Amino acid sequence: MERARKILIYGFLIGWLFAVALPMGWVLLNSLRSSQEFVQNPFGMPWLIGGIPADGLLEHDEIEEALRLSEVTPLDSIPHKKLAWLAEHFEEIDTDNNGALNAGTEFGDSPSTLDAKMIAIIEKAASRPLARSNAVENYRKAWVESHFSRFFFNSLWVTFWSLLGTLSLASMAAYVLARFEFRGSHVLFLFFVSGMMIPAQLLLTPVFFEFSWFSEVGTQLLQPFGLRFQLYDSHFGLIILYIALSLPFTILVLTGFFKSLPGALREAAILDGCNEYRVFWHVMLPLAKPGLITAGIFNFLGIWNEYIFALVFVNTPELKTLPLGLASVSIQAQYKTDFGLMFAGLVIVVVPTLLVYVLLQRRLTEGITMGALKG
Amino acid sequence: MAEVTLTHVQKIYGGDVTAVQDANLTINDKEFVVLVGPSGCGKSTTLRMIAGLEDITAGEIHIDGTRINDVPPKDRDIAMVFQNYALYPHKNVYKNMSFGLEMRRFPKDEIDKRVREAADILGITDLLHRRPKALSGGQRQRVAVGRAIVRKPKVFLFDEPLSNLDAKLRVQMRAEISKLHRRLEATMVYVTHDQVEAMTMGDRIVVMLDGLIQQVAAPLELYRRPANTFVATFIGSPPMNLLQGALAFVDGALCFVTPEQGTCLKVSEEQGAVLADFAGKPVDLGIRPEDLSVASRSDTSNGGTLEADVEVVEPMGAETYVYLSVAGQALTARIHDQTPPIVGARLRLNANTPCFHFFDPDSGKAIR
Repeated sequence: MERARKILIYGFLIGWLFAVALPMGWVLLNSLRSSQEFVQNPFGMPWLIGGIPADGLLEHDEIEEALRLSEVTPLDSIPHKKLAWLAEHFEEIDTDNNGALNAGTEFGDSPSTLDAKMIAIIEKAASRPLARSNAVENYRKAWVESHFSRFFFNSLWVTFWSLLGTLSLASMAAYVLARFEFRGSHVLFLFFVSGMMIPAQLLLTPVFFEFSWFSEVGTQLLQPFGLRFQLYDSHFGLIILYIALSLPFTILVLTGFFKSLPGALREAAILDGCNEYRVFWHVMLPLAKPGLITAGIFNFLGIWNEYIFALVFVNTPELKTLPLGLASVSIQAQYKTDFGLMFAGLVIVVVPTLLVYVLLQRRLTEGITMGALKG
Repeated sequence: MAEVTLTHVQKIYGGDVTAVQDANLTINDKEFVVLVGPSGCGKSTTLRMIAGLEDITAGEIHIDGTRINDVPPKDRDIAMVFQNYALYPHKNVYKNMSFGLEMRRFPKDEIDKRVREAADILGITDLLHRRPKALSGGQRQRVAVGRAIVRKPKVFLFDEPLSNLDAKLRVQMRAEISKLHRRLEATMVYVTHDQVEAMTMGDRIVVMLDGLIQQVAAPLELYRRPANTFVATFIGSPPMNLLQGALAFVDGALCFVTPEQGTCLKVSEEQGAVLADFAGKPVDLGIRPEDLSVASRSDTSNGGTLEADVEVVEPMGAETYVYLSVAGQALTARIHDQTPPIVGARLRLNANTPCFHFFDPDSGKAIR
């Protein structure tokens, strides 16, 4: 019985591990392979690369090079698919083959010369082993050419300030709500927490108008100082938005935490000569660290991966965050099929969250249970 | 140096719950005063009002002649030791002790000197770099006391500091705090619900019940001359016996008679003079368990004896607690006989009549 239970539990956990780890590993592996390799075999390993297999696609520039070498018509005039088909059936192509003849007529060349040239091209291409893609190449392309470096630091910047703002505001509010009873303190708490009940998507339109109104008023007010106040299409606006969206959850979690701290500590600190601010700063805040970390991680994940609001409120390419960058790469990928680039971008987005999880997971579970048991 | 005076101090919570009513008390300089009473009697509230952790609803508290009602806690020059120690979990022992001095901007070397001095007094020098989590209950208690000592305050306040310790450690710490009091020569106010702590530590004891001070007296005075039935039964273990009955003249001598006849105890002459007015009236008789002894068969003593049925016997080694019933009323005797009585037996007890206490059954006040 005990044994069966263990097997069941471990089976379930191992299954879960695979469900989580496999896609991750798959993304990571494919980020190290070229698009070509990916198309050949989506589940291949980066180190298992040889020449062109019989059914492979030819790389664009390789054919181009081959064509240049054999000094034929520019590649653009040859339908790509046909080349591929030719390559696929390379072995079977016969000079007298009807299909090849038909294909040849499109080139406006005599079939026999075409076949000869074609064979030359394809032989050339096929004789060269498929260049093993440099493992770093995809990342270089993503980081430099697709501006992921920019997106990365934008995300870092926005997330950092949003977290700092959220945690400092929420911890102060939560401490007061947890420790002091005053007229309307319960209502205030409910007001904060009720923010969680509104689906964020509903806020898009009103916030959009609020932003433009505030920006207008703010700019008018700051005009004498030669300053501009912009919420829409700015990191500042996005940070404000993220802070506002994160506060309800964070206040809920931290209030539970502060309630779990012994009240005598506050009294001891007061007798030790602290005023309320110092009690908070020197005693309560350090003790709420597990709670701050828990709330911080959850908010980090949310903000780091946030897409909709960033999409709506940021337009300038230089201001875009990672999820937007990833989306634009995958949109481009519809035309360019650069899977390697996309996977590399995905890894760049995922790794920081993964790191945060791995480094702080003990604290995270600690924090969750502490809040749950005593809050 | 530091005298604490409470004048007509009152504490009312939320407009209708009275925690402390009209407390008047003077705590002398260098005195160790213990506030004792059952939970909810207002002793902790009184202490917290002195500390400044609770507002004073009415009345005044003076420390050293200065009215401190509106002085913030940190400026009252007091230090407090809490029941659950309230050590800062994220600071080590040294930092726990130095925090109060740091907040008051003491110079670094002065802080260091004082912390080491206090650690030395309490024997916790080896623990200075540990976190509270890594300390035993007794060690934590010492750190909590140390945190108070380093400040060199005018008044020390203790809020049930020993109630979280096990019995053995409690006895040890009790002695240590008493020693500390003599060494520091400071004014100390100590709150406890444990009458043994109160008796052993206090220069004077303040017994409280339902927000009212019942009696203020030195320990033995309190034991020998309790002001009312509450103090009489609260101080002393096992508690004083209270027998209901009436005073009557039997054969020309004033006697205490239980409702169901059969028991008649003669009142001593000094007490008889005071009690003569109560003849024929109901009174409560208080007898300490140690004032009862087993009468020998031949003994037909003058004071009068009472017959009681043995219900429970608790041998303690040096003495034996015998729980009896006399005419339906419970009675405890503390006897030193080598052979303890048998449960179910009928025992004849001698009462030490000069040590009788008489109380007015309506008010509970002692009749003197």
